[in-house]
Amino acid sequence: MTRATKALASLLALSAASTALAASGLAGAALTLPILMLSGLKAHVILRDYLGLRIAPGWLRGFDLGLTLLILTFAGLALAV
Amino acid sequence: MTCSARILVTSGWLAALGLQAAEAGKTLRLRLLLAAAIAFGAVFLILKGTEYANLFRQGIGTETHAFYTFSFLLTGFHAAHVLAGMILLALVGWLATPKAVEAGAAFWHMVDLVWVLLFPVVYLL
Repeated sequence: MTRATKALASLLALSAASTALAASGLAGAALTLPILMLSGLKAHVILRDYLGLRIAPGWLRGFDLGLTLLILTFAGLALAV
Repeated sequence: MTCSARILVTSGWLAALGLQAAEAGKTLRLRLLLAAAIAFGAVFLILKGTEYANLFRQGIGTETHAFYTFSFLLTGFHAAHVLAGMILLALVGWLATPKAVEAGAAFWHMVDLVWVLLFPVVYLL
């Protein structure tokens, strides 16, 4: 199995987890935080394996930092309303 | 709705395999993989179009509520980038050089990445 195919399997599994959470009836922080965390993980997999940033760990760490800040901002906005 | 995310990540996978084919000098395989990636992009746009049509039928438009203004703007701009990515993939498939395919696939993965982040904000939260 190639790295891209493993990445696809991870992305589909993470998407299935998001769907299950959204359908679970959870609300508020119990829904928002895991859903956003799963999105951040999916974005990390795309950056690392589809875009090939695994060979540039410094860039991957930088993008991960940006992603983390973005997810935290989304979480803050979602929980503030 | 979540179907659209699966369609785009699968399309990104096909583009990633297309880059591997380009690097291996397998032009026919590259073009078939990119054609499949473009087809998945088209399915994504059809789903978006169906979703918009359903909303319009219910009398929901960009001025119904601030949420829908942002929702239509964000998903509409994203859909425009999907369309641009499909054209770009067709172009790099025609050129069939590893450098061109890498650039086209990178654009396609970024479109994919943006959707992964946009999707929960617009549809789930």
